[in-house]
Amino acid sequence: MRHHSILRAVTKFFLPYILLFGLYTQFHGDYGPGGGFQAGVIFAAAIVLYGLIFTPRIARKVIPYRAVYIFMSLGILLYAGVGVATLFMGGNYLDYNALNHHHPVHGQHLGILLVELGVGITVAAVVICIYYAFADRLES
Amino acid sequence: MIPFAMAAILITMFMTLIRAFRGPSLYDRILSVNSFGTSTVLFIVVHGFLNGRPEFLDLAIVYGLLNFIGTVAVLKFFGLREYGSDREKEETKKL
Repeated sequence: MRHHSILRAVTKFFLPYILLFGLYTQFHGDYGPGGGFQAGVIFAAAIVLYGLIFTPRIARKVIPYRAVYIFMSLGILLYAGVGVATLFMGGNYLDYNALNHHHPVHGQHLGILLVELGVGITVAAVVICIYYAFADRLES
Repeated sequence: MIPFAMAAILITMFMTLIRAFRGPSLYDRILSVNSFGTSTVLFIVVHGFLNGRPEFLDLAIVYGLLNFIGTVAVLKFFGLREYGSDREKEETKKL
């Protein structure tokens, strides 16, 4: 893709806005359309675009395999950790009301935010991992 | 007025679908799928304004973004027969 200067320029221009839009979808998901899954996909789409236009070798320098594996596990750990934390604070599994006994609404807010963050991290890492798996596939 | 715009966009989408199925060459199909995505963005926006829900603009932005990335990916796959390995010499030779 060395000769496609328009694609390269457009990608360089749009990349931060795509990442920012992914974060917006993540953290504005309480009030508008969005949520963890969609935000993860948008965030990963930026990395996929970067790997498509520049080579996957450079994309792997930005987010290496090791980071992808760590983030995949970290998201699920965050999701399950919130559930276990609510268990220890005297509620059911993923019972957000238990996170803040004085203001259950605040507990709901915090719980949803953390769980969606875990979902977003995992989905982004998995989509990037799928793209790496396709891009690095050896020709049979 | 807006329902007429929706109807017009639906007709356009139908015609692009016909071109996608009957297109003689690969590039006709890719171009028709791309313009189908553009029509979908327009349709989502018009639908959002018809129902008084401007939040649909977010969905339209996402759809346009994925449309762009998908078209680049498909074109690259059919141009190079792979999603871009690290072999840049071969890549530049084919281009």
